[in-house]
Amino acid sequence: MKKIRFTPLFFRRIHKWVGLILGVQFLLWALSGSMMALLDQEKVGGHSAQASHQHALPAGDYIAPAKLALDGPVLGIALRSLATRPVYELRSTTGTRLIDATSGAPVRVDEQVARDVATMVNEAPIRKATLLAEPNVEAREHEGTMWRLDFADAENSSAYISADTGRFLVMRGDTWRTWDFFWMLHNMDYVNRTSFNHPLIVFVAFGTLWLSGTGFYLLFKSFSRADVRWLRRRRKSAVKLGAG
Amino acid sequence: MAIRWPLVIRRTHKWLALIVGVQVLLWTLTGFYMVAVHIDIIHGDDLVRPPVVAPIDLASFVPPARIVQSAPDASEIRLQRFMDQPVWRAQTPGGPRLFDAGSGQPIPDLSEAQIRAAARRIYSGTGDIVAARLLTTAPLEMQARKPPYWQVEFDAWNRPTLYLSPQTGELISRRHALWRVFDFAWMLHIMDYDDRSDVNNPLLRVATWSALAMALAGAWLLLWSFPRRRKKKA
Repeated sequence: MKKIRFTPLFFRRIHKWVGLILGVQFLLWALSGSMMALLDQEKVGGHSAQASHQHALPAGDYIAPAKLALDGPVLGIALRSLATRPVYELRSTTGTRLIDATSGAPVRVDEQVARDVATMVNEAPIRKATLLAEPNVEAREHEGTMWRLDFADAENSSAYISADTGRFLVMRGDTWRTWDFFWMLHNMDYVNRTSFNHPLIVFVAFGTLWLSGTGFYLLFKSFSRADVRWLRRRRKSAVKLGAG
Repeated sequence: MAIRWPLVIRRTHKWLALIVGVQVLLWTLTGFYMVAVHIDIIHGDDLVRPPVVAPIDLASFVPPARIVQSAPDASEIRLQRFMDQPVWRAQTPGGPRLFDAGSGQPIPDLSEAQIRAAARRIYSGTGDIVAARLLTTAPLEMQARKPPYWQVEFDAWNRPTLYLSPQTGELISRRHALWRVFDFAWMLHIMDYDDRSDVNNPLLRVATWSALAMALAGAWLLLWSFPRRRKKKA
């Protein structure tokens, strides 16, 4: 058997072969990383739902929770605003219900309610309202049925409002959509775009370590005197000038 | 004289690599760490116990209308548990405030003993508390979160640290050694050495596009070199 000799040529071969096999992904990482660094973080946004306005609850004659018509054990209760109307949010084993805190009537998050909530986050006119039975790729971090409100603004923003609680979930715009495409290229999760811990990416990332590792090593072997001749020439002429 | 493209591109590849080589090495190393250790572990999901869910008896509590009178700037009043005791939690611009759900009386800020007990209940591990401190300046690992909060450190190999609200004893954040390594890796990855959060900084933009140019030059060399290897040797 031939003994492996750890010469620069050997590392150059690794560099080339790993480059041949994983080079495309390295290119895609460089490209998507460059694009994500270029896209304005503020415009991409969408990381928190806390940007929505928090109005103080009006002091009022709220129905006592004990008087609410209930159909089973309650696991949680909150008094909050739905757009401008105070509501009780009741959590039970069967799901979440909203009840008007003043009249005691059940509240459904219909299109009008969704529009009212969305208007509090974005004042642009609403082009379209759609009820989604399941989260789409833009609202993938959230669960349950939800309303999607599309705004007529420069970003083509879409607000996502939970159809169960009427809470504002997230805002997505065109900059985010572009960013998300490159994020998908970066995390290699082409279906869900969420996980960056799947076996494919771990494998490719491990392989790429060899590409960058050997490349870094070869830097020390690839520069010769000829490469820096121009530097020495310039210095020499600078010395001459100084002496002259 | 005709331009010798292979030479020009080889030189481009070499010189760009000389400039961004260290950073490319750091990108692949930090990237590998971030993909290899699962994000749920980084988030410390296993450090805390899931919250107890139990039916509540609405009739035994003062109605939230009373809490709205006590905390007129509250935007939301929620029932929750505070050390087994039901409380109304009012979300106000100045932070959350707790009220005894039975009497409607405000609950004062927690004492150190209460914070320690609350942290013990949240923490899923078995180690003891090493230190509990009320912080008024934010440590780096709390990023943009505004103090004050309690920092409770536990005794374990990964130095788990819980951050609790002084008003409600709720968990604000959890940190541990692997998270801290991840955060450091993230800093190196996005090249924002101050706040570790600005992914649009000029240094990163220059480095990423240079790396892309280096990679493209490398790809060109690769396609050029494989079929012609024999010829070149001759």
